Amino acid sequence: MKYKSQAVAKLYFIAAIGLFLGQILFGLIMGLQYVVGDFLFPAIPFNVARMVHTNLLIVWLLFGFMGASYYLIPEESETELFSPKLAVITFWVFLAAGALTILGYLLVPYASLAKWTGNDLLNTMGREFLEQPLPTKVGIVAVALSWLFNITMTMLKGRKTAISLVLSLGMLGLAGFFLFSFYDPVNLVKDKYYWWWVVHLWVEGVWELILGAMLAFVLIKVTGVDREVVEKWLYVIITMTLVTGIIGTGHHYYWIGAPAYWQWWGSIFSALEPIPFFMMTVFAFNMVNKRRREHPNKAAVLWALGTSVMAFLGAGLWGFLHTLAPINYYAHGTQLTAAHGHLAFFGAYALVVLTMISYAMPILRGRAANPERAQIMEMWSFWLMTVSMFFITLFLTGAGIVQIWLQRISSTPMSFMAVQDQLSIFYWAREGAGVVFLIGLLLYISSFFVKGESHAFE
Amino acid sequence: MSATFTKSMARNVFYGGGVFFFLLFIALTFDTMQALPKRDNSQNITPAVAHGKKLWEVNNCIGCHTLLGEGAYFAPELGNVYKRRGPDFIKAWIKGQPTNVPGRRQMPQFNLSDADIDDVIAFLKYASEINTNKWPPNIEG
Amino acid sequence: MDAQSVKIGSADIAVTARADFQKNHQKDLPGDFALWIFIFAEMLVFGVLFVAYAFTRANNVALFNESQLTLSRTSGAINTLVLITSSYFVVRGVDAIKRGLSSQCAHWLTGALLLGGVFISIKIVEFHAKFAAGITMSSNAFYMFYLSLTFFHLMHVLMGMVILASIIVKARRGGYSAQNHTGVETGASFWHMVDFLWIILFPLIYIIR
Repeated sequence: MKYKSQAVAKLYFIAAIGLFLGQILFGLIMGLQYVVGDFLFPAIPFNVARMVHTNLLIVWLLFGFMGASYYLIPEESETELFSPKLAVITFWVFLAAGALTILGYLLVPYASLAKWTGNDLLNTMGREFLEQPLPTKVGIVAVALSWLFNITMTMLKGRKTAISLVLSLGMLGLAGFFLFSFYDPVNLVKDKYYWWWVVHLWVEGVWELILGAMLAFVLIKVTGVDREVVEKWLYVIITMTLVTGIIGTGHHYYWIGAPAYWQWWGSIFSALEPIPFFMMTVFAFNMVNKRRREHPNKAAVLWALGTSVMAFLGAGLWGFLHTLAPINYYAHGTQLTAAHGHLAFFGAYALVVLTMISYAMPILRGRAANPERAQIMEMWSFWLMTVSMFFITLFLTGAGIVQIWLQRISSTPMSFMAVQDQLSIFYWAREGAGVVFLIGLLLYISSFFVKGESHAFE
Repeated sequence: MSATFTKSMARNVFYGGGVFFFLLFIALTFDTMQALPKRDNSQNITPAVAHGKKLWEVNNCIGCHTLLGEGAYFAPELGNVYKRRGPDFIKAWIKGQPTNVPGRRQMPQFNLSDADIDDVIAFLKYASEINTNKWPPNIEG
Repeated sequence: MDAQSVKIGSADIAVTARADFQKNHQKDLPGDFALWIFIFAEMLVFGVLFVAYAFTRANNVALFNESQLTLSRTSGAINTLVLITSSYFVVRGVDAIKRGLSSQCAHWLTGALLLGGVFISIKIVEFHAKFAAGITMSSNAFYMFYLSLTFFHLMHVLMGMVILASIIVKARRGGYSAQNHTGVETGASFWHMVDFLWIILFPLIYIIR
């Protein structure tokens, strides 16, 4: 690595992978509870497993984003990190807060956790993805601000590139929109309306800036294509992201009590949301085709291309599938939503963090690229995880379509639980694909321990 | 004309477009907030509803159920459960959990008092009367 | 119903974007090609909105005709003239800079900018009258489209004014020349698009019955 202080990224990456493993294990527990309803009940009820599953996802992605920026910003700014020490302290604070929160979920009834952590002072808990106790939420803000501060100070004393600018804007948005998680009015419609300012404006807004910046960085490094070209693409793509994604929030406002005109605004703009993802796919393949050098880290190139394709499929295509109001009327809140959620989060965010780790980790360990055998294992793990996630998505889509038919369209609609019984074959298949995913992840982790002759720096 | 799609140009379009659509979003949000009182049933928010919502949250009901289609898809939609089942059924159901039927999905016992359950029901009644543009398509949710 | 067209349109845009980066220049379109990507995207959005309007109107002809009568055609017509004149000014501005006359260019564009201000003032008066009458986007389908489309368009006029203003400032500083005036052409293209959209929007919403 070019700058000593980049080394802090390693801590973040290791934590990210560890938490990723935790997320998948809880995912498998939930998957089984879908078909064996009393599995682990009452020790780990479904709602607890789900909270752990989704919160671990958010936390490991945040660890990934932070690690990526501590690696990427010094190199972009051509200077040491403003304060590596602050980055290390932030890491341990975040890890401790995250671990305590997860333990709290698992060991204490949620209502007691809420009581002990001051939810009576300011109630923010008990809303999907924002289940964290108040101190954890405050901690997330503190960690994000410390991260933003460290990165901004580094940028100020060094070179300012489009990539670092976009990344820091994404981080600013991440911290800023999270503040809406502290607003939880009794009015359910307002509660839901602003809840989406965190959830949607994160994943279909500012997180995409972070995603774009990370992908652009890795593509510059592994293809050697001119920075000017890459950064122009980056700007055009994220412009389309914001142009479509901000008003696209409207696709969540169809049925929660907001005015009916959101059906028009939301349908039209969110129907355009695949554009930036499609451009990203074209961009990534274009850059790799026009590469000016053969980077020894072939695995990183595979992850980068995989990100662009799977993000388009998961976020773009599967999102489009049910975004138009007349279709969403039937599809809203079914397994189809779950299908989209899985492929989108995996394809866009999990994969971009893994891309960054794949590129940076060998360098952090003192080599340009991992030994061939390790890379081959890594590529196998890519295919195992990607294909199995695609199948999880297909099975959930099948379940969703049958569910919509039996429960919502049929002239003699069946009750929710009766329909769920009909879907068990899909859920069993999904659980099977989930096991393959876990195998892929374990293979991925073991690829870090393969010894052999590695590629030295040129 | 010359090829002058410069990076600073791209950056300006990015800033311009981002600010433009965020302002548009703020304007629509402003209009939405003006329009809500006619739709959101807020005139029926009582202390019981407020307490019911809090109980809904601190027991993480959204971790299994959906409410107006948002939540966990593991257990039935509750936005219209008041209309589907009525208050007596809901009360008996919450008290009767878990069913302990082998292999069936289980709902935990939350040890709520009768008054608490009444407040939860008040909240679900309030939620069922929000104007959701006729969603869900039928009573099954 | 227009899902398919939107989808195809989106692919087109991405493909053109790619073509742009490969060729990196374009003979037939004035101004910067990147801006044309966004102009196409804008036209697409407006196009979908216009089609949506037409479909909804077809199902509620009586309601649309009745509500339409409450709109002020006079202010709409004046605004049409205002925008067409401003477009002419912008044409003259581009012509001036092509001959290297920076300050003349700035003058013409300032004229266009002022007309933009007139457009907005008239629109605000018009909106004010509607709001005072208790009309909102939730009143009925016609008013939803009327307010959405005209407000969305109004924001484009504002955006165009910001672009014109920044070009004027740069032109005054001598930032453009007969050889290098892509910025002026780009801004002009955007302004003409805003004008063009109004020319469709005005008869569609105010007049056709």
